[in-house]
Amino acid sequence: QCFIFSITVNANLTSLPEKHLVLLRDGRTLIGYLRSIDQFANLVLHQTVERIHVGKKYGDIPRGIFVVRGENVVLLGEIDLEKESDTPLQQVSIEEILEEQRVEQQAKQESEKLKVQALKERGLSIPRADTLDEY
Amino acid sequence: MFRNQSLEDCPLDEDEDAFQTLGEEDEDINQFNDDTFGAGAIDDDWQEAHERLAELEDKPATARELEDGAVSDEMELLGHHEENLAERLSKLVIENELEDPAIMQAVQTQPPMQQSGGLNSSIWDGSAVLRRFRGPLLTQEMPSVSVLEYAMLQKPPQGQEDERDLSERALPRRSSSPIIGSPPVRAVPIGTPPKQATMPNFIQQILCPKPVHIRAPMQQRYPSPYGERMSPNQLCNVSNSSLLGHPFPPSVTPVFTHLQRAQLLGGAQAGRMSPSQFARVSGLVGSPLTSMNPKLLQGRVGQMMAPASGFRAFFGAPPPPAPPSSQQQHPPCPGSHLQNLRPHPQMFRPDTTHLHPQHRRLLHQRQQQNRNQHRSLNGSAGDRAGHRSSHQEQLRKDPYANLMLQREKDWVSKIQMMQLQSTDPYLDDFYYQNYFQKLEKVSAAEEMHGDGPKKERTKLITPQVAKLEHAYKPVQFEGSLGKLTVSSVNNPRKMIDAVVTSRSEDDETKEKQVRDKRRQTLVTIEKTYSLLLDVEDYERRYLLSLEGERPALMEERKQKICDMYDNLRGKTPGQERPSDDHFVQIMCIRKGKRMVARILPFLSTEQAADILMATARNLPFLIKKDAQDEFGLSLLYLVLSRGEELQNSSAAMELMQDNQWTELMSMATRELLRIPEAALAKPVSTPSNLLSLFSRYVDQQKLNVLETKLQ
Repeated sequence: QCFIFSITVNANLTSLPEKHLVLLRDGRTLIGYLRSIDQFANLVLHQTVERIHVGKKYGDIPRGIFVVRGENVVLLGEIDLEKESDTPLQQVSIEEILEEQRVEQQAKQESEKLKVQALKERGLSIPRADTLDEY
Repeated sequence: MFRNQSLEDCPLDEDEDAFQTLGEEDEDINQFNDDTFGAGAIDDDWQEAHERLAELEDKPATARELEDGAVSDEMELLGHHEENLAERLSKLVIENELEDPAIMQAVQTQPPMQQSGGLNSSIWDGSAVLRRFRGPLLTQEMPSVSVLEYAMLQKPPQGQEDERDLSERALPRRSSSPIIGSPPVRAVPIGTPPKQATMPNFIQQILCPKPVHIRAPMQQRYPSPYGERMSPNQLCNVSNSSLLGHPFPPSVTPVFTHLQRAQLLGGAQAGRMSPSQFARVSGLVGSPLTSMNPKLLQGRVGQMMAPASGFRAFFGAPPPPAPPSSQQQHPPCPGSHLQNLRPHPQMFRPDTTHLHPQHRRLLHQRQQQNRNQHRSLNGSAGDRAGHRSSHQEQLRKDPYANLMLQREKDWVSKIQMMQLQSTDPYLDDFYYQNYFQKLEKVSAAEEMHGDGPKKERTKLITPQVAKLEHAYKPVQFEGSLGKLTVSSVNNPRKMIDAVVTSRSEDDETKEKQVRDKRRQTLVTIEKTYSLLLDVEDYERRYLLSLEGERPALMEERKQKICDMYDNLRGKTPGQERPSDDHFVQIMCIRKGKRMVARILPFLSTEQAADILMATARNLPFLIKKDAQDEFGLSLLYLVLSRGEELQNSSAAMELMQDNQWTELMSMATRELLRIPEAALAKPVSTPSNLLSLFSRYVDQQKLNVLETKLQ
C-alpha cells in the first residue's frame, strides 16, 4: 500500500551518497546509488550493479543507470557502507556466478517436475502460477 | 523588439484558438477523470489571472515588499482560484454530485485551508486539489493542515511568485480525458513536484530592480493555460528565440531560467521531452552563458535523469544569492544553492510533530547543514574561489548528489504522509497500534521498577483526519436520463452473482460429516473470535465515546460476552449441559484453546467455572491430545493458570472448597505424571503459578516430579 521512505528521501541529498539495495519482483537484486524517487516508488539508480546470489557466492554485473517502475519494487533498503565489507559471502566472477545460477535453476526445475509428477499420480494438480511473483 | 518577433514567429496564436474551442467542448463533455496523472484540478482562468496580474503591474510598489504583501496576495489568488473551481464544479454537475469522498472531497474543506498562513499555493493545489479528482485511486481524506504546513518548510515567497505561479500553471494541457465534475486539465499533473519553494527567493533579490517589467513580456508569450497543447518544440522555440534577442544581463537570466524550466516541465510532463530537445535548449543556453559556467553545463547536457535535473542546468547560470552588487559571481553547484537560499528561520516546528521523530530530526539536521552552508557562502561573498572550492569539493565527492531538490523530496514525503492519514488508526493500522501499546506497557513497567531512563520509542504519528460521513449519491450528468453509477471504493458494486447452494443431508458420507463437523467447529471459533475482539475493544471505545452512549456500550458488551459463552458451550441450553462435546471440539483446535484462554477473564465466575469444569472433565483426553504438541500444551497450561487466577480472586473462594475442582486437579496431575517425561513436549511458556496450583493437591513427591516435567 504505502511506504515510508522519508528518511531515505532526506538522506539522498548528502555529499556522501548512500548505496541502496533494491529487490524487484522478479527476484533481481539491484544495488546502486538512489538518485531520484517519486510517490510511486519509481526509482532512479545510478551506477547500478545487479547482484546474483547463489548459495554463499555472489557476482556483480554492472548495469549503469536504472529507472525502475515502482510497481516492481518489493523492497528498498540502504546499505551501510561500513558493514558492507564484512559479509560471509564470497564474491566470484560474473561467468562463474552465471554458471552457478544456471545449475541452480536446473536443479530447481527438476525437483519441481518431480513434484508435479507425484501430485499428478495422486490426483492433485496445482495450477502453474505463471503470473505470480515467483523466483 | 524581439518580443514581437517571437510572438509572430511562434505558432502559438494559431493553435491557441483551436485549443480553446477544443477545451470548451471538453468542458461540456468531460465529467470523468480516469487519467491518473493528468487530473490537475487547478482551475486557472488565465484571462482573469492575466488581468489580475496586469493590475499588479500597475503597482510596482508591491514588487519591493517581499515578505508580507505577497502572502496576502497569494492567499487572494488562491481564494479566487478556489472560487472559480467551486463555480465551475457546480456548473458541471447537477447535484452536489460526487459526494463520494473518494472522488471529491476537497471542496467542503477547502476554504479553511486557505487561511492557514504560509501555504505554498501551488503545492497545496497540486496535491490536495488534484486528489479531489483522482477518483478512487487515492482514497484518503483531506490532508490536515499540519501536513501541509510541514510540507511548506518555509514561508512561501511572494508577489512575484504569484505571477510566476500563474504563468507556470498555465501549462499546455496534457490530455483531453474526461474529468469527473472538474474542469479540464490545466495545470501541473500530479506527477510533478512543486515549483516554487526556493526559487522565488533569490529571484526576488535578482529581480529587485524591475521585476515586473521583466515579467510582462514573458507572460504574454506564455501559452494559454486553457486547453493548450504546445509541443516542447514550440516552447523551446519560443524561449530560444527570446534568448537570442536578449543581451543577457545577469538580472534577466533567472526569469528566462524560470520560463525555461516551466516549459521544460510542461514538456517533460507531456512525456515528450527528448534528449535532443534538451540538448538543443541547453546548447543555446550554453552559448551566452558558457563563459560563466562551462563545467556545469557540460556536465548536464549528457544527462536526462528527471525533469528536475533538466532545468538545473539553467540554474547553473543565474546570479548568486548575494545582493545585486555581486552579480558577477556565479553560483556554486547546480541544485545546492537553491537549498542554501532558504530564508526561513529554522526553529522547531510544532506542526511537524506528526512526522516520525527520526525523520524530523534528520529534517532539522539537513536544514541546519543547509543554513550553515548558506551562511558560509554569504560570508565569503567576495571570495569567488572560496565559493567554488567548497562546492567543488562536494561535487567531487559525488557530482550527482543533489539531483533531487529538497522540495521535491518534501513533496514526495508529503504525499506519503497524506496517504497515511486515517480516520481511525485502530482500524487501519491495528497491529502497529497494538504492538506499540504493548511496547509502551513494557517500558512503563520497566520504568516503575526504576530501570533508568526510558528508551525512546520512535513512534510514527500519522496525521489524523476527522471522520466525514458522506451519503453517497451517484453521479449525474446534465441533460441525461437516469443515473450512471461509478464503482468506487466507497461505493462498491456487486459484480458477480454468486448463489449459495446448500447440500442435502442424504448425500453426505460419514467422512464428509466428520469433515463438516470440524468445519462447523472452525466456523464457531471464528465467530466467537470476532466477538472476543469486539469485547476487548470496548474498553477503548468506552474512553472515546460520549457519556450518553456508555450504558449502551456496556449492554452490547455484556450481550456479546453471553454470546461467546453460548458459542463455547453449544447453542442449545438444555437444563443441563448434556454434552461437553461442542466445547471439547473447540478445545481440540489450537485456536480454540487460545480463544478460551482469552475469554476466561471476561466471563462471570459462574460461567468461568463452568468452562473450567468442562475442561477438567476432559482434561485427560485433552492432555493426551496435546502431549506431543508444544503449543497445545502451553495453551492448556494457560487455561489452567487462568483458572488458578480466577480461583485466587475473591469471589471464587467457594470453588476452592469444591470437591470437583480437587478431583479435577488430581486427575490432571495424574495424567501429567503418567506421560513419560520424554514424550512431554516442551511448552512455549509455562505459567508460573502452575506449580503452586499443583502444590495444593499433590504431595511433595509428585510435586517434584511434576516440577521436573514442567522444566
